[in-house]
Amino acid sequence: MTKSEFEPKIVGFLCNWCSYAGADLAGVSRIQYPPTLRIVRVMCSGRVDPVFILEAFRSGADGVLVAGCHPGDCHYLSGNYKLQRRVSMLKKVLEQFGLEPERLRLEWVSASEGDRFATVIKDMTEKVKKLGPSPLNNGG
Amino acid sequence: MEKTGKLKFAFYWAASCGGCEITVLDVNEKILDVLALADIVFWPVAIDIKYKAVKAFPDKSIDVCFFNGAIRTEEQEHMAKLLRKKSKVLIAFGSCAYQGGIPGLANVADKKEVFERAYLQSPSTHNPNCVTPKTSFKVPEGELKLPEFFDTVKTLDQTVAVDYYLPGCPPVSDQVAKAVEAIAKNELPPKGSVLAPEKSVCDECPRKKEDKKISKIYRVYEITPDPEKCLLEQGIICIGPATRGGCGAKCINANMPCTGCGGPCPNEMEQGAAMMSALLSILGVSGEKELEYDAEKLADQIRDPLGTFYKYSLPASLLRRRIMKK
Amino acid sequence: MKDKVGAVLVVGGGIAGIQASLDLANSGFRVYLLDESPSIGGTMTQLDKTFPTNDCAMCILAPKLVMAGRHPNIELIMGAEIKSVEGEEGHFQVALVRKPRYIDEEKCTGCGVCARKCPIEGIDEFNEGLGERTAIYVKYPQAVPLVYAIDRDKCIGCGTCQEVCKAGAVKYDEKEKRIALHVGSIILSPGFEEFDPKLKGEYGYGRYSNVVSSIEFERILSASGPYGGIVLRPSDGKVPRKIAFIQCVGSRDAKIGNNYCSSACCMYAIKEAIIAKEHNPDLQCTIFFMDVRAYGKEFDAYYNRAEEEYGVKFVRSRVPQIGEVLESQNLLVKYVEDENPATEEFNLVVLSVGMRPPKHAEELAKTLDIKLNKYNFCSSETFSPLETSRPGIYVCGAFSSPKDIPESVAQASGAAAKAASSISSAREMLTTVKEYPPERDVSGEEPRIGVFVCHCGINIGGVVNVPEVVEYVKTLPNVAYAEHNLYTCSEDTQKRIHEIIKEHNLNRVVVASCTPRTHEPLFRETVREAGLNIYLFEMANIRDQCSWVHMHEHEEATEKAKDLVRSIVAKTRLLKPLKKPMIDVTPIGLVIGGGLSGMTAALELAKQDFEAHLVEKEKELGGHLRHIHYLLGSEDPQERLGSIIKEVTENEKIHVHLNSELSDVEGYVGNFKTTLNNDGEKKEIKHGVVIVATGAMEYNPNEYLYGVDERVVTQRELEERLTNGGFNAKTVVMIQCVGSRNGEHPYCSRICCSQAVKNALKIKELSPETDVYVLYKDMRTYGFLEDYYREAASKGVLFINYDDENRPRLVQENGKLKLTVWEPVIKTWTPIEPDLLALSVATLPNPDNEHIAKMLKVPLSKDKFFLEAHMKLRPVDFATEGIFLCGLAHWPKSIEESISQACAAAARAATILSKEALEVEGAIANVNEDFCSGCKICESVCAYNAIEMKEVDGKPRAHVLEALCKGCGVCGSSCPTGAISMLNFTDDQILAQVRAALKEETKYD
Repeated sequence: MTKSEFEPKIVGFLCNWCSYAGADLAGVSRIQYPPTLRIVRVMCSGRVDPVFILEAFRSGADGVLVAGCHPGDCHYLSGNYKLQRRVSMLKKVLEQFGLEPERLRLEWVSASEGDRFATVIKDMTEKVKKLGPSPLNNGG
Repeated sequence: MEKTGKLKFAFYWAASCGGCEITVLDVNEKILDVLALADIVFWPVAIDIKYKAVKAFPDKSIDVCFFNGAIRTEEQEHMAKLLRKKSKVLIAFGSCAYQGGIPGLANVADKKEVFERAYLQSPSTHNPNCVTPKTSFKVPEGELKLPEFFDTVKTLDQTVAVDYYLPGCPPVSDQVAKAVEAIAKNELPPKGSVLAPEKSVCDECPRKKEDKKISKIYRVYEITPDPEKCLLEQGIICIGPATRGGCGAKCINANMPCTGCGGPCPNEMEQGAAMMSALLSILGVSGEKELEYDAEKLADQIRDPLGTFYKYSLPASLLRRRIMKK
Repeated sequence: MKDKVGAVLVVGGGIAGIQASLDLANSGFRVYLLDESPSIGGTMTQLDKTFPTNDCAMCILAPKLVMAGRHPNIELIMGAEIKSVEGEEGHFQVALVRKPRYIDEEKCTGCGVCARKCPIEGIDEFNEGLGERTAIYVKYPQAVPLVYAIDRDKCIGCGTCQEVCKAGAVKYDEKEKRIALHVGSIILSPGFEEFDPKLKGEYGYGRYSNVVSSIEFERILSASGPYGGIVLRPSDGKVPRKIAFIQCVGSRDAKIGNNYCSSACCMYAIKEAIIAKEHNPDLQCTIFFMDVRAYGKEFDAYYNRAEEEYGVKFVRSRVPQIGEVLESQNLLVKYVEDENPATEEFNLVVLSVGMRPPKHAEELAKTLDIKLNKYNFCSSETFSPLETSRPGIYVCGAFSSPKDIPESVAQASGAAAKAASSISSAREMLTTVKEYPPERDVSGEEPRIGVFVCHCGINIGGVVNVPEVVEYVKTLPNVAYAEHNLYTCSEDTQKRIHEIIKEHNLNRVVVASCTPRTHEPLFRETVREAGLNIYLFEMANIRDQCSWVHMHEHEEATEKAKDLVRSIVAKTRLLKPLKKPMIDVTPIGLVIGGGLSGMTAALELAKQDFEAHLVEKEKELGGHLRHIHYLLGSEDPQERLGSIIKEVTENEKIHVHLNSELSDVEGYVGNFKTTLNNDGEKKEIKHGVVIVATGAMEYNPNEYLYGVDERVVTQRELEERLTNGGFNAKTVVMIQCVGSRNGEHPYCSRICCSQAVKNALKIKELSPETDVYVLYKDMRTYGFLEDYYREAASKGVLFINYDDENRPRLVQENGKLKLTVWEPVIKTWTPIEPDLLALSVATLPNPDNEHIAKMLKVPLSKDKFFLEAHMKLRPVDFATEGIFLCGLAHWPKSIEESISQACAAAARAATILSKEALEVEGAIANVNEDFCSGCKICESVCAYNAIEMKEVDGKPRAHVLEALCKGCGVCGSSCPTGAISMLNFTDDQILAQVRAALKEETKYD
């Protein structure tokens, strides 16, 4: 793959009840977005452990998306808040590791926001493209 | 080497502070038991034996090599490989050999930055000619050589295969004594084991643990902690929950928080992420449904997250070091 | 006597009907859920967000839709209506007619190819006509059942759908079908009809394209709506800068015959204004209202936020007319502010339309032989709010009176309790329990994975090269078998999967097709039938999240599909069979509080054949109701109270504990152990559920000389005087919101407005010449209470509005009470000399709440009332399983509402008590004690109190209460030692999935 046609690989951790449903709705509504995302379903965004994100980067992800229910909407009451704090912290840590914190993105996507989900992926793909391949992605 | 029928031990120090050596002496009178048990065939800090003597040892002739310190120079790498070849059992001794330790924190920089800081910028340096170490230098008598200083600090097992790990900065003497006893009785666990309990420091911590919900982080000088109560519950970052025990919660018993020298618990991939996740899960948990709730602000309370969560384990972490600038 | 029939017919599949169905089906009854539309969900599916939490409506509703759709004991009968109901309570024969759908429900897979090919576009009712849909359609994307229907009014019969349907589901010749049902009870939940704003010609709806109804605006706000969630106006698709909301369109309007208040419009208008502002912060929203009726839980806080945080403008004025500016199609709203007529131009006007009874209410009432009230809503009584006039037929939701979602849900559960108690002897007579073959022990076997890749007609196969994916999958380690199917979900493929599992001795199965959210249960069922544990199954979503979103990138989509399957195979390799733990249940309820709610809850439990302990700290039962002597309406509360107490004390199943309080609660759902303290004597009770009905207390005012001058009384004291003959005042003033809606208690106490109206009417009845003034902030006589407000006004009671800047001032002068009141119409301070001043005092939370909450480990709201699991859809549940809530402990409320909630709590409790043992989810947290070091972090982060610390060898170790764990995994990711695994989503499984999603290698070095 040459640099000019760099297609980023993004791993997305999606909560079952809102964001995964939002991704499904994008499909049902046939809203097109770039084929850059590989989704990993978890029941609650609060399940997402920083180690999953670090491992995704180590395994060559150019970007990692974590998406959960909007604040107040968490199917499990408050898992999304725990995730939000971990991501806030992890972004700082990534920066210290010299990895652009923008490669990690937290989004709240509800079950009815298929359009927004697609917009997020489009936007994230663009942004990660601009950043270029992850410096950890040496396998290409 | 003469044959005595006793075991043959070697001690070596790589990138380390020397604290691990002291621990060996800290076993006190038991050192005599050690000496009764084993001959120390190599110990640069105490015995004058040249590297070439070691090179001359037959392979696998050292029964146990206690290797402390991380690997950051060509010389250390060379000695690690040499001692691996000469030893039946290689033990990564102490936090630096095991996880990278304090020297491993240099992985937030590269060689150039380290040299600039150490030889040029630090306030105590007087170096008007800006001399920094070089691997070779020509003098009239010929060429002088120094080992290469690497950009990245590595753990021992990122350099050579390691049989056992003895965590701690430094390892506590009874852990060492227990290890020696296991060696003497030939009761070592399966290779690859960490010679420490499976539980975290919390298990050994005598403090009362009640409710882990915290909303504010204090640095140690900011409050006088209640000596009976869990430090983390008082808002002091104590890495004990994510740190392998065996130390007897020494720091905590001195009213200071654990900073994590025991390395990760056996079922965690890395210590930093484990503690980060745990801490940020409980920090602000009570106020999360309130309007003023601000995840960013809560996280901002931790000034140097890398230094806090990866104090002893940066080279062993998933990302190992700050990404090298191109 | 004939045996009763253990089945219930629920008429109307909105949120109320769904809730009632689920509660009944989960407590041992067969349910037929009927709706005239092709799918369930009702009005809530059209809503964007819900107040006061701004929850996404579809997010919270969808799980309930799926549950109802898949429940083995709920049969959905769509597109049907009732023709006749014969028989009586316990034995009804119901005749139904089901309109043809022209699609075979069994065959349709919901793939949607037909709709994509259908050439016809018609008006989309779901989007309120703002968008278009095809003639073959589903009502909304997440529709349950996900089966298409043909709208024959629009269909031209071109045959395209029949041609493209690979499942062969199109049946043009389907005929109307007659269905006969035999049921024991009937619940009516047909909902409501929106008021047709065309009837208010002065607002120009239908003529001016930028005047929309509130439900249309709801669709405009919705991300899945006609404008994709961008707030635009219909005439020109421009972004509006100023929006006006006109309240009470079709409500509180005697001219058009709808005098009642529609109860929910103030709140939904505030919500719509807030959400619109969130979409576009520069937007100006103005709400024109008569009274802001924010009487529900946390509603006033929401109202205040709208005003203060979002800058929504509120204007107290009834808008007489709206005009249009020709060129701009902007709208001119006429109103009166501070008695001055004004006109303001807006870009868009939203009419907050009221609720009307359902279209066919009269017909339905005739068929069922039930009474309607004068507005054609279903008639019911204060003390039997869930009963229609025909025994065995119950009502819930907006059909009995206009109401919001939580009220409807509470009523729905309440109606379920009523429907169940009349047929409780027939519990489990008609429900089915499926028998499965024994599970094959796969431990120790190398993973042998079978992968089934679905074409989904052309949905996947048209984009992704499915055979190529299959060939690729075959190269992956541990994949023992792979094939592709036209429809993996079709009935014949299920049989095939079953056979292949046996033939190839598979021990794990992956289906690569659509989404596990809808299809996982089906495939799990299939693997279970083939003898595999259901947790040995996984799905790769290569349709909704691949082929459908990369329709023009066939190669990339194929590569992505391979990645997705590879990554799910990597997880599947590590799957382990899981057991679903069974928790024993003690079929006894504990009800805390012996007021009306507590007694009702205990009675409902007893009527369903469960024992109940009723704990009351006072020496007698009755609570607040003891102080209520008359009602708005004709029932005699004291007589009713007497008979309820008699019923409670005479019921053998109810054990009343007077002078008793809780001193300790241990255990969890199904297995509680509570210690009661009866005057120092301890008593231990075992029970399976708890119902909290601790009531509330009245505020003891320190304002307006209360306690200083005996002519100042509370409404309750006034009521005593009016009842016992101590009343002889010539001028009575009532002051509303004493202790409510102020800095200390910012919430509305909900019941005081109608209490004031009630007492004012009583005064006018006893002493017509007495002058009565009511000083109010907003008159919140919601629903049919509005009639009494109007009656009071027509009898000469003077209602004078005040606000916080101009509170009434009271002094004692020469032995007289002198009140100065700001008269907003004439703008002067006016003196009144009342003989009697009645204060409408706040309802305060019971001070015992705090320690009861601590004992039960349940939360309180900011205002210190108990906080339910979810304000919208779980109004009587706590997040902790097995603990329920009703009555004033939840929030101030009326008698009807307390009874509905109490019945609801009993119904929810019955879903547990009716089971010998509870089966809980297998994918829950699991503690490895070898690693647990007792740090207690998990305990602090669990939102369900599902982790407790147990002493093991003298040290604390985390222990998961399986019955309470919901499987979110928050504890697992918080555990710093890795001692907690979240089963079925373990670290190893997720990490393997992550690595394999990115790399070919299946093992990371």
